Amino acid sequence: MILALETSCDDTCAAVLTPDGRIASNVISSQGIHDRYGGVVPEIASRHHLELVGAVIQDALRQADVGLEAVELVAVTRGPGLVAALLVGLATAKAIAAAHEIALAPVDHLHGHVAAGFLAPSTLGGDGDPFLSLIASGGHTFLARVTDRGPDFEVLGQTLDDAAGEAFDKGARLLGLGYPGGAALERLARDGDPAAFPFPTAARMPGLDFSFAGLKTALLYRVRDLGPPETERRRADLAASYQHAIVEALALRVERALERTGLERLAVGGGVAANGPLRERLGRLGVPVDVPPRELCTDNAAMIASAARFVTPLPFPEYLELDVYATGERALVPTR
Amino acid sequence: MKILGLDTATAATAVAVLDTATGATVADRDAPRRGERPRHTTALLRMIVEQLRRADTDWAGIDRIAVGVGPGTFTGLRIGVATARALAGARDIPLVGVSTLHSLAAGAAGAAGAAGPSPAGPAIDAIVAVIDARRGEVFAAGWTAADVSRPGAEPLLALAARVPEALADELRNDGRRWLAVGDGAVEFREALERSGAWIPEEDSGRNRVDAVVHCRLAAGLLPEAPDGVLPEYLRLPDAEISLRAARQ
Ligand SMILES: [Zn+2]
Repeated sequence: MILALETSCDDTCAAVLTPDGRIASNVISSQGIHDRYGGVVPEIASRHHLELVGAVIQDALRQADVGLEAVELVAVTRGPGLVAALLVGLATAKAIAAAHEIALAPVDHLHGHVAAGFLAPSTLGGDGDPFLSLIASGGHTFLARVTDRGPDFEVLGQTLDDAAGEAFDKGARLLGLGYPGGAALERLARDGDPAAFPFPTAARMPGLDFSFAGLKTALLYRVRDLGPPETERRRADLAASYQHAIVEALALRVERALERTGLERLAVGGGVAANGPLRERLGRLGVPVDVPPRELCTDNAAMIASAARFVTPLPFPEYLELDVYATGERALVPTR
Repeated sequence: MKILGLDTATAATAVAVLDTATGATVADRDAPRRGERPRHTTALLRMIVEQLRRADTDWAGIDRIAVGVGPGTFTGLRIGVATARALAGARDIPLVGVSTLHSLAAGAAGAAGAAGPSPAGPAIDAIVAVIDARRGEVFAAGWTAADVSRPGAEPLLALAARVPEALADELRNDGRRWLAVGDGAVEFREALERSGAWIPEEDSGRNRVDAVVHCRLAAGLLPEAPDGVLPEYLRLPDAEISLRAARQ
């Protein structure tokens, strides 16, 4: 069995996976205490991780109905993410592995998101057929060409500023929907007209990189121009148009990437993959689209365990000095 | 009983194993030089594994784990406490949280559990342990020399974050002859010495957190549920402080 931990942001996660990639348990403890700060506070997230991690691991083992003696490999997110938060998971994982002198697999969080698509019974990436991967969440947005299930996928494009999920949350805040408001914005958009306001999709920006900063600014100005009463009255239209722009910005680059690479299969991951209009839009691109269930799109430890199956594990005691890495510390180097 | 002790509250990483039956100890300490970053993440677990080997034992031979719960640097504390909790949980080893300040004071007084305090230097009545809390503050707590070696001894000078000048005032007003130790005492020597407190030379062992003392104190404390052992932060996160200030 593989026991995996994920503490890179504000969710404390543990999962147990069978060696052939089936989920035996997948426990996520969402802290939900960052809303009042308007964003994730690393120190607060880290304190909560430490308080929760023991119980979350116990829950994962209990739900999988196994003891630690059945665990042959401990997997843990090493980065990118919030350093203080990552350190709680890494220290815990290293100690558990060392206590039984078993191997440890350090996993890159982004590989984890891609690997969410490899969980059984999925055959994605298992038959040697390459595919295009779009990962869009509150923390990351990138396109990659994936030729096998290992960590060395080729990043084709990434966001130059905000992540797509961040764009949703920031837009939601501008529309008075609180934080994090991505899901609330999607709900509000259902009653609105996506063509009401022409928001920018950075369509003229060539290549496969994303940019959402201009979109956020456009919404800010539009809200200012409309004034409070009119903004209130047209909130649904604003939400629908804003969401439409994010969806189009993502879909446009996916289309370009499919064209350029000749890839014939698309896999989507990250929290934004749960967005209905995005799924619908990507479904019309004419290639098969794989989207894991919602709970595997947002941060979780099952995806970390899944990725661990395809990294070279470090045997005891090679991981004793292992450290984490922060967001941005290891650049995703686009090779195109 | 064999006890594994560890501390990451200060910039140093300290690990020890004490055999209470024979009094035998092994210990190691990794301290960054000025300007270097602490190496808790990379050093702690390696040092633990090495000290077990040096003590000629393994996980099955460890009867108790003693972890320093601070106060100290938040990230350092979490690495130590997370490691200790995970080891204790994974091997079913009883876990004890030890006040890093109490250990520092007890260590400075002479080894806790030994005949009694006999510091080479002026006669003293009480010992205050002082850890640099940054932002111009120190974490401090003080005990009487007679009481400091007793596990679970209540501090005479309450555990709190203070500015060094306020601590100096408290020591002076108290009237006892104080020994002040720790990186905070060294850092704010000038302010604290004005209170009449005696502070050992910077490189004195009395200023260093010693995990052997954690082990000695832990021998006399009751183990807790691993999940109950948490850092003594003594400070709210900055975001919480700002939020509360904004609401007032
Ligand atoms: Zn993520």
